[in-house]
Parts: sequence; structure tokens; C-alpha cells
Amino acid sequence: MNRLRYTLQLALMTVVISAGLLSVSQGELSAELTTKANHDHINIDFFYHGGSVSIRGVSDPGTDLVIKITSEHGHHTLRQKGKVGVLWMNVGTLKFEHVPSVYFLQSTRSLDDILPAAEQLKYGLGYKALAEESEVTPLKDPSQKGQWFKEFLRYKEASKVYSVESGKISLTRKGGKQNYYIMMDWPYQAAPGDYLVTVYAVKDRKVVEQAHAKVVVQQVGVIKSLSGMAKNNGAFYGFISVLVALGAGFGVGLIFRKGGGAH
Amino acid sequence: MHLYLPVALTSMNILVPVGLGLAVGLLSGLFGVGGGFLLTPLLIMFGIPSTVAAATDSNQIVAASTSGTYAHWKIGNVDFKMGLLLLAGGFIGGLVGVQGIKILRAMGNADFVIKITYVLMLGIVGGYMFIESLQSLKKKKTEEVKPKKESAFGKFLNSLPLQTHFEKSGVTHSAFVPIVFGGFVGILAAVMGVGGGFLMVPVMVYILRMPMHVVVGTSLFQILFNCIEVTFLQAYTNHTVDFILAVLLLIGSTVGAQVGTVFGRKLKGDQLKIILAGIVLVVTVKMVFDLTITPDLLLGQAGGH
Repeated sequence: MNRLRYTLQLALMTVVISAGLLSVSQGELSAELTTKANHDHINIDFFYHGGSVSIRGVSDPGTDLVIKITSEHGHHTLRQKGKVGVLWMNVGTLKFEHVPSVYFLQSTRSLDDILPAAEQLKYGLGYKALAEESEVTPLKDPSQKGQWFKEFLRYKEASKVYSVESGKISLTRKGGKQNYYIMMDWPYQAAPGDYLVTVYAVKDRKVVEQAHAKVVVQQVGVIKSLSGMAKNNGAFYGFISVLVALGAGFGVGLIFRKGGGAH
Repeated sequence: MHLYLPVALTSMNILVPVGLGLAVGLLSGLFGVGGGFLLTPLLIMFGIPSTVAAATDSNQIVAASTSGTYAHWKIGNVDFKMGLLLLAGGFIGGLVGVQGIKILRAMGNADFVIKITYVLMLGIVGGYMFIESLQSLKKKKTEEVKPKKESAFGKFLNSLPLQTHFEKSGVTHSAFVPIVFGGFVGILAAVMGVGGGFLMVPVMVYILRMPMHVVVGTSLFQILFNCIEVTFLQAYTNHTVDFILAVLLLIGSTVGAQVGTVFGRKLKGDQLKIILAGIVLVVTVKMVFDLTITPDLLLGQAGGH
């Protein structure tokens, strides 16, 4: 087990270092605002329990910053709970469209303090903008959308894949420029995939510049093999699962007999 | 130490599934139940998606019931003839139940029927077993056991054709009886999405009049085959079996099943029944509680019950 862990850790370190070297030029979209996501390749191995993503860059002095990490927008179908008589149970499903599976937003100050609603909506910043973009179906009454979108946000926040926070980006002045940095926990609940990091420079209640970087979360090694087999070769995967369970059951039975057991 | 689960797409402290497996394996060896009615909700509580929890639970039951069946077979507690007839009935019942669920889902009230069936079945089975075993334990303390008078239902069962003697269980029944009652359990198990061990055990005890220790071994034998079928179908059609999670669970459950068998031999039939009835009633109360208290979140992951 130790050797396996050592091998996996070594492979992980190699990938991270290589990714770091490759990503030196990544995200430098403008002379003024730059961004770079360190740990931009998060490898899901056997011992994965989440990770961290650090984002750093340079911006004009005096600008506020908004950092958004998001997946591609898609649809999510969730079970809707409701009361039938006196009992709470699943009463149907709700489809939330044009929403990301992961949405993290960090800003230097509260979003409402630095950007007006129209600007938030234009760039998809904050929960209000997400709600505007989304569609919720089927609803008996369209006025229920707000209530169910709030429930959707509560569900996503409880799953640790949505958050909107402010005041955690550290800013330092150096050589007439402003350096920014934030270290964020990456939850293990976030599924493998490509995530887009967008940094918005905000001045006078307007977005004046944007820079982009990418975070890739991918399964590696045994985890990748098992996941692939489960999806692409279900019959073989099922056969192996049953065989291992039968073997384990008999094996333990034999051990107990050999060990004296009760019989 | 945490391990990542490739199908559940979540990370879990290994002590959680190993501990849960041990506890459920213990129940399996003691009472002949698969433990799905306990383990699946517990896995969901620890963040496993409901579809993955149910499918992976079946996989670990294969290991626990193999271990348990083997242990019980060694001490002569498995009635293979009865087990195979129950299995045949359960298989037919399962097919009928799956069609029934499809119809209910199309009508849009499947969840209500499933929940109510679950609570009623657990409540009735648990309540009946508890009262009956309590009375039986009290009687044994005060008086000698008198030979029971045959009921009208018993007479009816004895009048059916294809009467056959089940040597291990020491009973004689028509071959139709285990097939029909196995089928009935199969329907309910398919509707409720569980293995049906906690329903099969009372059927064997109260209707087939089998001795409790043979009931445990025979129940595990037929659960083993049900769960092999379910595991394979879930892996093949839904891709919801998490191999890593199943291995962690079965490490605990195979050992638990052996320990349970050893403990089971030290307890009397009525004592086993009353403990099982108590567990079933606690699960029923918990379900009623969950159904009546306002949930924290009004949205949940789609899939499963």
C-alpha cells in the first residue's frame, strides 16, 4: 500500500510540476491584468480528498477584482420534495437549465458595492445573474421560479460546489502595480472536468478588463481505469464486481474456519 | 485515511464504509437479512448518491451473504431445496414488481406508493414479530410448550398438490407454497427497491414454519442469488456500482457475517426474532420521522427512491 501511494504521489508531483512549467504563459491576456492558476491540474487519484487552487496576477492599482471559477453551463435535474397530506416526499423533478455545475465567486469587496446589477448580469456575476440566466421547468406558476432557484442554490452550497464570498483576495502594491493572490479550497465534490477561471478588473463600477486561465480536474491511474470500465464496459465490470464479492465471501469464510472460528 | 470513489465521485474516510459493513454483516449473519434497508439510507446520509448506494449495497451483500451462507452451510443450516423454490418465486415476483413500478411511475405516484408500502410493511412485520416473540418468550418461562392446533390456513396449505418434504427444515409443504410466497416477497422487494430479506424471514418463520436457524441460512442463500443478479444488472444497465466502495463495505461485512453466525448460535430463535423485530421497528420509526419532519433541503439528487 505504501509503495503504491509513493508511486501515485510521485506521478502526481511530476504532473503538477510539468503543468506548472507549461502554464507559465497561460492567462496573460493583457499587459495590465494578468492571472495564473497554480495547481491548475488537479489529479484525482486513489487518495484524493479535494485540493487547492491558487490564483495570482497583476492589476492596475486601485482596481477591485472579481474572480469567477465556473464549469460550462448545462442542465441539472433534481428531485423536488413536497408535502402529500402530512408526509414529505418526492413529488416530481425540476430541471434547472443554463446553470453551471460548479460556481465559485470571490471579490475584493461585496459584489453589490463594486458593480451595479446590470453589469453583474452582463458578465454573469453573482447569484442574481445566475438566476436571470436560468430556466426552471416544469413550474405550475412562473412566479415560483425565484423560490425554487433559492432552493437550488441552497442545495449546491450544501454540496460545496457553489459559493459567493468577498474580502478574501489579498492585494499588495509593488512597482506601481497591484499584485493579487487568493488560495481557494477545491472540493472533492466537484466532478472531473475543465473549469474556467475569469478575473474581472473593476473600476468606477464597471468591468474594465478580463483575464482567463483554466483549471483541469482529471481522474488518473486506478480511478480513471475503474471509472472508464464502469462506463464503457458495464458487463465486464459487473462480472468482476460479483466475482470479487464471491471470492471475498468465500475467502473470509475459509480464514474463519482455518483460524478455528466457531466451527 | 480517505479514498476516492470513482463511480460515486466522492471521497470517504475508509473507516466509515468498513464500520458500516461490519455492522450490517453482523446483522446478516445473525438474522439472515441482507441489510439493504439499513445500509442504503446510511450510505446516502454519508453523501453517496442514492442510485450508487443501492447498487453498491447489492454488491457488498453478495460478499456478506456468501460469507454467511458458507458459515451456515458448514453447520447444516441451509435448506437448499426450499431456498431454490423461494428463489424461483422471488425471480418471477421481481419481474412482476418491476413492471408494476413502471406503471406507477407513468401514473406519477410511484414515490408515494413506495414510501407507504415501506412504512406499512416494516411496521406490520416488525410489530407482529415483536409481539409474537415476546409472547413466546413469556410462555416458555411459565409453561411447557403445547402442540399447536392446525389453523384453517394451515389445513388449506396442506391440501394443495405437489406436497414435498423439506428435510433440513423438517416441514412438508406443497412446492407451490414457497414459490407463491417467494413471488409475493419478490413483488414487494421490487416495489420497495430492497432485497427483501426482512420480509422473507417472517414468511419462512410464520408461514413455512421453518426453524429460525435454518431460516437464517436459507434466507442468506436466496439473498445471495438475488443480489448477484441485481449487481450485474445495475453495473450493466445503470453503471452505478462503485467497486472501491463495495470492497470497503465487504471487508467489514464478510467478517461481520462470520461473527454474526457465531453469536447467532448462542441465541435462541425467539431471542433472534425479537432483536430483529426491534431493529425493524426502530427503522420504521426513523422513516415515519423523516416523512413528517420538514427536510433541510427541498431538492435532492435525482435517481433511486
